[in-house]
Amino acid sequence: MEIEVTEPGEHAATSSARHRVGRRAFLGAGAGGAALSLLPFLSGRAAASATTDESTTTAATTPPQRPTADDVALPGVVQQVEVTATALYGEAIAIGGWSDEQAVVVTFIRDAHRAYAQSLSGMLGRSAPNNMSQELFDGLRSDFVGDVAGVLAAAQAFESSAVATHGDVIAKLQGTDGAALLASIQIAEARFCTALADLAGDTDPVTLLVDEEAESLVGRG
Amino acid sequence: MNNELPNDTTVASLDRRGLLRIGGLTAVSAVVVAACGKTEAGTVGRVGEGGQTPVLADAIVNDGVLLRTMAGIETSIAAAYGHILDGGFLSKASATLPDLGDQSELIAIFQAHHVVAAETFNALAVEAGAEPWLCGNTRLDDAYITPIFERIEQGIPATDTTLKIEPSDDPTRDYVNLVHTLESMAASSCQALVPVVTSAAIRFTSMQIGVRSARQAALIALRIFPGGYVAGVGESVVAETDATTTTAAEGAAPAATAIPLPFALPARFGLLSPTTFIGGAGDENGVRLKFNFETPSLNSLAYPFYSCP
Repeated sequence: MEIEVTEPGEHAATSSARHRVGRRAFLGAGAGGAALSLLPFLSGRAAASATTDESTTTAATTPPQRPTADDVALPGVVQQVEVTATALYGEAIAIGGWSDEQAVVVTFIRDAHRAYAQSLSGMLGRSAPNNMSQELFDGLRSDFVGDVAGVLAAAQAFESSAVATHGDVIAKLQGTDGAALLASIQIAEARFCTALADLAGDTDPVTLLVDEEAESLVGRG
Repeated sequence: MNNELPNDTTVASLDRRGLLRIGGLTAVSAVVVAACGKTEAGTVGRVGEGGQTPVLADAIVNDGVLLRTMAGIETSIAAAYGHILDGGFLSKASATLPDLGDQSELIAIFQAHHVVAAETFNALAVEAGAEPWLCGNTRLDDAYITPIFERIEQGIPATDTTLKIEPSDDPTRDYVNLVHTLESMAASSCQALVPVVTSAAIRFTSMQIGVRSARQAALIALRIFPGGYVAGVGESVVAETDATTTTAAEGAAPAATAIPLPFALPARFGLLSPTTFIGGAGDENGVRLKFNFETPSLNSLAYPFYSCP
């Protein structure tokens, strides 16, 4: 049960006079309290400043994850190479004359290049060119529409160029996301060289393992 | 019967002064009781100074540690190939893979690559301010490669609860599969290094080595399984995939674990997933030795406080 006191008692006046807190005292207590309550915060700020210095030191040696402003151009070139590859393999498949086994492998490689172009597009966002290099396509198209043996040889050389291109770009990229994506593409395209050489009937380890890599396509178109 | 309490019962009033008195008496009593208690307790203190508690070194992962680790892995692979070549296992015919042929020359080429790769990683490690790692990766050797060698060549002796496991029924098949596994793992490890090192130059060199290992993996896959280019495409490929599965006759011992055939192009992107090795003779239940080879992680890194055994 609550008892509500509506009227002050007889000692109320004395008591209130004894315990009255003046405005000055109240303000003083408030300022003191505020200072006390800010103490941990201020000390925290000091500690945070020290941490910031430390993390700056770390940041100087830790590479960025996302592509930097300088990183956008080179993966853009790689994406154009991948779109061009998709178009070239599309031309090659269209000429026909492939055995079932060859058709499966070449179609797999064409689709893989399309997947690479799409994944690079996803990473670059609106900066992605999303179109092929017309100059590169025109320069290589005739090799991809000849006889099957010729197309396999041209495809093998192209894959080796693509591997060199990825290596070239990985050596320049700062962001680790882009480098990791290109590395996973490069490893797969390296295998394409060996598979295509084997598919063409090559048995020499020097050719199958591509002892001499082709030149990078960076700067070509 | 009247249960009413008399209204005039005098209840002893407990005023503030009385309460203080009781509190004071309680405190004094507690002090007196405590003073009368036993004052000697505990064991006799030790005389002298004990040894310092050992402090473990910080396991910092940096470029040097990662590069030393890669050097160790490449050295382990080269040493494993040396063991396989010295034993002449690859020049013997394989009952499971009759068309395999002698792969010794090819594996010698692979071995040379891994020797050079180890030197390259060590050179980079020194540039990064670390000591070179001149032996195999101890974790890879002790937990994976050596047990595989023992299982293939010697089998496992019987114990109180298990029967003896015979040496491998086809060492040539197992070793050529091991080569494929190690090449795949080497390629994956180089790829996995890319996002964790700080320098673009290290990434480039690591991938040059990884590219070669990936090609070696693809080539040995095609030697093991000619025409096995792409996983899961085409009926003929699926049918041949089961080539190494042995079906047990009725009443006979259980069929041994199937050994999957490798593919030259296992996926569209470079894989970082574990590469599975299955080999050796089956145990009493037909279960062969199975290991998942993974890219190096915290328990297999060559930290600065480790040295070659």
